[in-house]
Amino acid sequence: MGLWRDISGTWKPMWITLRYLFRKPVTIEYPEQKRTPPPRYRAQLILTRDPEGKERCVACYLCSAACPVDCISLQAAEDADGRRYAAWFRVNFARCIFCGLCTEACPTLAIQTSIHYEICKRDPLSLVFEKEDLLVDHGGKDKFYNFYQHAGIGVCKPRGGGDGEYGPVDVKDLLP
Amino acid sequence: MPTLTIDNQPVTVAEGTTIIQAAERLGLVIPHFCYHEALGAAGSCRLCAVRIEKGPLKGIQMACMIPAQDGMVVTTLDPEAVEFRAHVAEWAMTDHPHDCPVCDEGGECQLQEMTIAAGHGTRRFRGLKRTYPNQDLGPFIVQEMNRCIQCYRCVRTYRDYCGGTDYGTFGSRNRVAYGRVTAGRLASPFSGNIIDLCPTGVLTDKTFRFKCRSWDLQEAPSVCPHCSLGCNTLPGARYRELLRVKARVNRAVNGFFICDRGRFGHGYQNHPQRLREPHVDGESVSWNDALAAVHERISQTTEHHGHGTVAFLGSRRATLEANLLLGQWAAATGCTRTVYECHPEFDRIARTVAARLGDQRRSPGDIQRSDFILLIGAEPLAEAPVLALAIRQAKRNGARIVILDPRPPQLPCAFEHLPLTPEQLQLALEQLATKKFKGWTRDESTTLRNLGKDLTAAQNPVIIGAGALLGAAGIERLFDLVDASSPAARPCGVLVPLAGPNSYAAGLLSNGGPDFDDLLDAILNGMVKTLVCLETDPFEDYPQHGRAQSALAQLESLIVLDALPTQTTRHADIVLPTTVPVESDGCYINHEGRLQAFAKVLDPGLSVAVTGGGDHPPRIFEQSAPGNLPRPAWAILAEILKLPTETAALRQQLARTDNRFAALTQIHRAAEGEIVTAIGIPPRPQDDDGAVESSVPGSLQLWPIDTFGGADIFSTYSVHLDPLRDEPYILLADEDAKQRGLTDGAGAVLTSELGHLKVRVRCTATIPAGIAFLPHLLRGATAGFVPGGGALSCTLKSVEGEA
Ligand code: SF4
Ligand code: SF4
Ligand code: SF4
Ligand code: SF4
Ligand code: FES
Repeated sequence: MGLWRDISGTWKPMWITLRYLFRKPVTIEYPEQKRTPPPRYRAQLILTRDPEGKERCVACYLCSAACPVDCISLQAAEDADGRRYAAWFRVNFARCIFCGLCTEACPTLAIQTSIHYEICKRDPLSLVFEKEDLLVDHGGKDKFYNFYQHAGIGVCKPRGGGDGEYGPVDVKDLLP
Repeated sequence: MPTLTIDNQPVTVAEGTTIIQAAERLGLVIPHFCYHEALGAAGSCRLCAVRIEKGPLKGIQMACMIPAQDGMVVTTLDPEAVEFRAHVAEWAMTDHPHDCPVCDEGGECQLQEMTIAAGHGTRRFRGLKRTYPNQDLGPFIVQEMNRCIQCYRCVRTYRDYCGGTDYGTFGSRNRVAYGRVTAGRLASPFSGNIIDLCPTGVLTDKTFRFKCRSWDLQEAPSVCPHCSLGCNTLPGARYRELLRVKARVNRAVNGFFICDRGRFGHGYQNHPQRLREPHVDGESVSWNDALAAVHERISQTTEHHGHGTVAFLGSRRATLEANLLLGQWAAATGCTRTVYECHPEFDRIARTVAARLGDQRRSPGDIQRSDFILLIGAEPLAEAPVLALAIRQAKRNGARIVILDPRPPQLPCAFEHLPLTPEQLQLALEQLATKKFKGWTRDESTTLRNLGKDLTAAQNPVIIGAGALLGAAGIERLFDLVDASSPAARPCGVLVPLAGPNSYAAGLLSNGGPDFDDLLDAILNGMVKTLVCLETDPFEDYPQHGRAQSALAQLESLIVLDALPTQTTRHADIVLPTTVPVESDGCYINHEGRLQAFAKVLDPGLSVAVTGGGDHPPRIFEQSAPGNLPRPAWAILAEILKLPTETAALRQQLARTDNRFAALTQIHRAAEGEIVTAIGIPPRPQDDDGAVESSVPGSLQLWPIDTFGGADIFSTYSVHLDPLRDEPYILLADEDAKQRGLTDGAGAVLTSELGHLKVRVRCTATIPAGIAFLPHLLRGATAGFVPGGGALSCTLKSVEGEA
């Protein structure tokens, strides 16, 4: 009995190998050949822009709070229009584990994962990406969301001029 | 003492306690917006709903409005109450903007917390959201009215508690809003408290705007260094920069509140001129070389000139640890001239207070419970701002407030004011004690006589006086008056604001030793050749700048430990950079002898905002931060003395060597600080009564004074406080101004022994004729006019062509 098991155990895998020899291969010759990952692939992070072309990131620090390996650091600032933005924004990809938690935390859809996975470098310092390295000129997976259109605090539009708002009311009016 | 049951737990509370407070005693926090321990209940938010199952009022009730009663049974978990609270949270959110990501309150927002606790997630209301206009409230506070939930806390804080008048409620129905009649800076010196008290992001700190999230802050319990009151604070720092200061609760000292000087005066930590490297003869050197140089200079001096030619000068703003170590170092070098305060008058006052305060000490917390407060020559808003807040609470509780002072008082409450000249103040102090009134007009002596009677009749009187106008002799008289008004059954309280956060310790440590005048004499006589200055600036803080300069110029070496540049560090041969209070552990003893510890918030170093120039931080990854060389003064001294440089071990050692400070070992655990009961040695009697020299006709008696903007070195290095500091002005009586052809707001030239100074005229009717006041500002045009050095004689001329 034992002998028969040994013989079939030798031939069966060889037979499988032989069969696959005549099939279309699933592996590719990387790096000569490259593959396009699916759209929701989680590789290098990007900072996207809103439909008006303005930076989406409002420097709320939620991504940096969500990151389990603490690889995002930034500094918020305010521009002349009262818009909150990131004066600087740094992601250390030598640390990033590509978990995507930052993108889930982001309330403005600013930080998104992209399919660009070829970021390995020999020098860890070159894996530290600054804001200009992260910023792209499109909206990523969502082309339409514009946080300040819904924020309701009159930034980048007159007060009361956002979606679903009225006013501003006259606070000195005592009429019923 | 009713006993009630809340969530099946019995609790006995004092009469008049509300259900929400009783629950707090059990450790149960009933959700709330408008209730606050310091403000009481308003019943306006309806979030604190609970069900009363047994008691006079049954059903859903507001826990903050119903007093606890015997036999009451309350449940907070009743499904109907839970649903009620959920609806209130949802309703507070119907008009709320969708902007937590850009709201500075986010992360420490009571509205966020309550919304999440209530389980509210999706807005069901489909109507439009109401929006409000915003108002510019000045350089300290940003308003975003759309976030308001109409809890009225801001108005109750600003108007009721702090006594401000320029902020209030506007509008009607669903348009109720809060603000000023017209945009502008909030005038109250306690305005910043509305930031802490507002449960939402309507009112946020402008100096902290968009700087950081609350969860990223490095925070540690601290003590305010801007005056001798020692309010408890919670500073927050990030990226090596102190970003904001919040009030920390200490019911005995500041309650829940601090003043705007303490809150917004934090710019000194990151000031570009901070001393960052040890210097010897103007050359930047390493710590080892600097300490070797210190050692060498001191041993050279003792070799060449003998023992005792090195003197040591401690400070009112250095920690207790550092001052104690300085004393030990002095003893080790055989020095007999260790002085702990470079302003001799303030030194005498601190010694008097340390020697005579005893059980009559009063904290601001005690002041609130007083029924009669007599202020003599004190301006709390300048000398100890939160004291003014405590006096207001006493007034709200029905106390009588009487002020004897030549200046127009600025207390945020009603008071009786008798404008007396500084000389008359001394007379009043003396005669209130002896009860024999001489040298007054009839009205004045009746008023004073009645005042004396009321002081005796009061249940819990407190006398408050300060040194700038009274001088050391006046403070002695003040204590005599306190003693005379203290029958055994009912001691009279006393509170004397001192010159700096650690002045009391300086007074206690001086141990009857010489004062700075004696030390200057010794230097001028060539008996002292080297001076070590610990975080003090004798060039600027000694009232007669000329005398200090000529004496200090005769030194062979001047060794200075300090954090910020001063005239003294500029003249120093060796400069050792020290940390500012938030960068190290330490202790201060406040005006009433309360020892309070503060903990390190952050390490010293150039902030990332500076090293990165506002852009990405430099791509240098190192173990140590740039500019991190400053060390706590006590650590430097401990190293020189070969003592432990670690806080706990050092405190143990210090407590062992000086048992007056035995509390040092436990102090980091004491929530309200620890009173140091040791009694100091009073200053030697002085012949000179601080009497003002008779002046030339036509001249004014000029008194330098402090103002709210702050004259301490930490405030003057804080740019955020600049809006509080006016250009130099002189305050004088209407008739004096008229005599000189001056009107309110006119420009004038002030001439005194300190030279000419351009000032703006401010006149009022209440100042007695012949005297004038000039606010002192360190590093400013009025730096030479140091308060506490008595009056100067000056003349005032109008400047032609200036409005
Ligand atoms: S992908 Fe993960 S590790 Fe990378 S930044 Fe986001 S949360 Fe951090
Ligand atoms: S979570 Fe989004 S908006 Fe917030 S800081 Fe990160 S990228 Fe910017
Ligand atoms: S007040 Fe609170 S709930 Fe409202 S936006 Fe600010 S953080 Fe969010
Ligand atoms: S501004 Fe703040 S404190 Fe004032 S009512 Fe609105 S939410 Fe309450
Ligand atoms: S806390 Fe009771 S009604 Fe607001």
